[in-house]
Amino acid sequence: MYKYLIRRVLIFIPMLLALTIIVFALIQAAPGDPISGKIFDPNIDPEVFEKQKEALGLNDPIHVQYWNWLKDVMQGDFGKSFIFKGRDVSDLIAERIGNTFYLGIFTLFITIIVSIPIGIYSARKPYSILDYGATTFGFFGLAVPNFFFGLVAIYVFSIQLGWLPSQGSVSSPGLTGIELFFNKLQHLILPGLTLGLAGTASYMRFMRSEVLDVLGSDYIRTARAKGMTDRSVLYKHTLRNALIPIITLLGFEIGALLSGAVITEGVFQYPGIGTLFLSSIGNRDYPVIMAINLMLGFFILLGNLLADIFYSIVDPRIRYD
Amino acid sequence: MKSKKSWLIMLLLMFVFGVLAACSGNKEPASSNEEGSSDKEPVSGGTVVGAMDTAPTGLFNPIFYTEAYESNILSFTHEGLLTQDKNLDFIPNLAKEWSFNDDQTEVTFTLDENAKWHDGEPFTANDVVFTYKTIASPGYVEAGGVRTQYVERLLGYEDFSTGKTTDFQGVVAVDDHTVTFKFAQPNVLALSDASFMIIPEHIFKDIPIAEIPEAGASRNPGEVIGTGPFQFSEMVQGEQYVLKKFADYWQGEPKLDSVIWKVVDQAVILGLLENGEIDFVADPNGFQAADYETVDALENVEIIEQPDFGYQTMGMMHNHRSKEDSEAGTINPENWTVNEKLKDQKVRQAIAYAINRQGLVDGLLYGRGIVQNSPIATQFWAYDDTTPNQYEFDPEKAKSLLDEAGYKDVNGDGFREDPNGKEWVLNLNYPLGNQIRERSAPIIEEFLEEVGISIDLRQPKEAAAYFEDLEKNSQDWDLYLIGWSLDSTDPDPSGLWSSMAGYNYSRWNNPEADQLLKDAFSPPDAFEQDFRKQKYSEWQVEFGEDLPSLILYAANSLWAHNKRLQGIDVLPYSFLNDTHLWYVTE
Repeated sequence: MYKYLIRRVLIFIPMLLALTIIVFALIQAAPGDPISGKIFDPNIDPEVFEKQKEALGLNDPIHVQYWNWLKDVMQGDFGKSFIFKGRDVSDLIAERIGNTFYLGIFTLFITIIVSIPIGIYSARKPYSILDYGATTFGFFGLAVPNFFFGLVAIYVFSIQLGWLPSQGSVSSPGLTGIELFFNKLQHLILPGLTLGLAGTASYMRFMRSEVLDVLGSDYIRTARAKGMTDRSVLYKHTLRNALIPIITLLGFEIGALLSGAVITEGVFQYPGIGTLFLSSIGNRDYPVIMAINLMLGFFILLGNLLADIFYSIVDPRIRYD
Repeated sequence: MKSKKSWLIMLLLMFVFGVLAACSGNKEPASSNEEGSSDKEPVSGGTVVGAMDTAPTGLFNPIFYTEAYESNILSFTHEGLLTQDKNLDFIPNLAKEWSFNDDQTEVTFTLDENAKWHDGEPFTANDVVFTYKTIASPGYVEAGGVRTQYVERLLGYEDFSTGKTTDFQGVVAVDDHTVTFKFAQPNVLALSDASFMIIPEHIFKDIPIAEIPEAGASRNPGEVIGTGPFQFSEMVQGEQYVLKKFADYWQGEPKLDSVIWKVVDQAVILGLLENGEIDFVADPNGFQAADYETVDALENVEIIEQPDFGYQTMGMMHNHRSKEDSEAGTINPENWTVNEKLKDQKVRQAIAYAINRQGLVDGLLYGRGIVQNSPIATQFWAYDDTTPNQYEFDPEKAKSLLDEAGYKDVNGDGFREDPNGKEWVLNLNYPLGNQIRERSAPIIEEFLEEVGISIDLRQPKEAAAYFEDLEKNSQDWDLYLIGWSLDSTDPDPSGLWSSMAGYNYSRWNNPEADQLLKDAFSPPDAFEQDFRKQKYSEWQVEFGEDLPSLILYAANSLWAHNKRLQGIDVLPYSFLNDTHLWYVTE
């Protein structure tokens, strides 16, 4: 097992290196640069922008630029953002990763809490009223675009009813302790529900079909024939097997969780990684794009590794050496 | 087992109640604002909340900021020696009075003795010298600064900025409250040059210029120091920026306790205005023209509508710059090649007649804009709305002009061919980023095809890619859409339209027009506004004749504020003016 883990972690290095080369080449190949798109005021001499490009090293050949970047990253320095002038990329990300993480966890929490029980119930009582209800909700959740649901939620819960805040991650600076905690939680509810809606819908459908699948298999019939109670058939045999594909999905979810939700973050002006990522692409803020990509790549690999480890826990047939 | 469960339920209930209780506490201020109106009593203190739709990048230093979002905050915290009134004339601000020397190469300002920095230090002439010296210093541009336009006319700028000398002669402190600006030549823009916001010397003097942008004094609440009526006191990065009143403000203690800027999504601004969570929305985007009726119907909200200092235009490529020159950044009209497809003036005029610009304003801007005919903001004394050709929409005239020029449909395909009978297709390029402009492109295509001009409407590109192409790869472009926002300080259009200007993307090379622009700037005549006005008027006629660009429209600025916010004195370029006099009624 340990050998396996070490091998898997070592493979991360060439994979991440390859990822950075591909992403670096791609973003450099895209037309435009961080300075040209910023032309806004005719009083500023274009020569000023030319000088700044030179100073930022944007006129160097691409392999030189990549090498400079890689050297710094090896020493733990992700460089400075071109757009957020003078700010360290690691600061920018650190400042937002917390928000994204809370939102992701909250969303995941809602998703799992709601979707798995309903999925199981739907599978045990297929074609019941609740199953139809859940199916309808599932299609609704998948069909409604996030931003639209978000706007409706803001309109109803913030503007009309005034129950929940609609924008940002906190009401005012200077809150501390328990007050800060509840304030942040309040700000999570609407974006969390919005994001959770689509996730819940798809996980629920997944869970339903997996459980149905397992329930129809031979070993369940055998277990029932042996006279086991419904309850232990469900928890001891069915769930363990039905959860395997869900764990695969959750492994990917870790990457998705940290990449943030661009559109939802936008509608709620929730400052997370998603909006930063999107704006840095639009602005050609190379150091930020690279750092976020590297981070996401790492977490997706890690998520997959974790999923593989969980397999062996859930399914005793799977062993790694 | 049972006790474990009930414990969980208890926890969940606590959670829910905790959140709900916190919610209801939050609701109160929102609802009490709802019916603020002007007949109510002013109250002392109070807080107003402004909304902007994008977070500032966070560089709150006047000499390094580049964004309108940062400028929103700096307008409360920093000030210049001069400011502009409703007629765009310069009036005293930190400087009480000023006088020119005889040949207009020097201007001496007397500063207000009461002005103080937010940390209590007195504001002096040395701060002024320091600010201008820093902008002129070597390494300023490399550190990310873009405001060299304020210093390049100063005496000795060339030598100082290239490091040939360390002796800065451009701005000199005579005593603590007297400062003299010295220019290399008599300077028509002297007052405009001297109006830049001032930063404190005692804060920045020990920070090397390359490190100023990342210094706490340029970024952090409490550390950003200005002389303005409000000080930057707290923030939640990317969400909220709190400005507290500066009680020692030299023009008197501000009436409001604080101003908070919140970052709010464009889609919910109206809802929050309606329920009173935000009190005002202003530059750079205000609210959308399509929402005008809705906002107008809100009882608690007042609209401020006035023309903007920018315009949207359709450039017509007179010449093309060669690929080599583009790469090198050289501007040499002798190396330009004429754009054969648009070289006939009549063709360009026909294009101007063929486009229904009022229709664009009515249809896309819901009438919240104006048709403009020359590239000078209409608010300026220099804008001439009578003598230059106004190009009223007239497709028949467009057709006859094209016929005259020899562009006729000879093969019967519905589109005109060039005078040699060859295929004639104009390429129209446009950028993404402004929805109204994006929608105008296909409409313009239709107008032009209506008079028989075949248009190749190219795929739009995002700004970063578009500008790079416009700069370097525009050798086959004919028509291009672009928007410019102008400065309110001086109407001089030469930064965009003189032949040597980098932004003259049409590569318009008209010696007469160049001469007029130069005359309008040459002392001593140019110190008479009437003389400049005359020259600019002649230039606008020339611009209209030769058409390096067809100015499409200028959208109105649409700002709104809750009626409980009073004491607003709107200027043509901003309403964040005299904010120490703002107050609220409850």
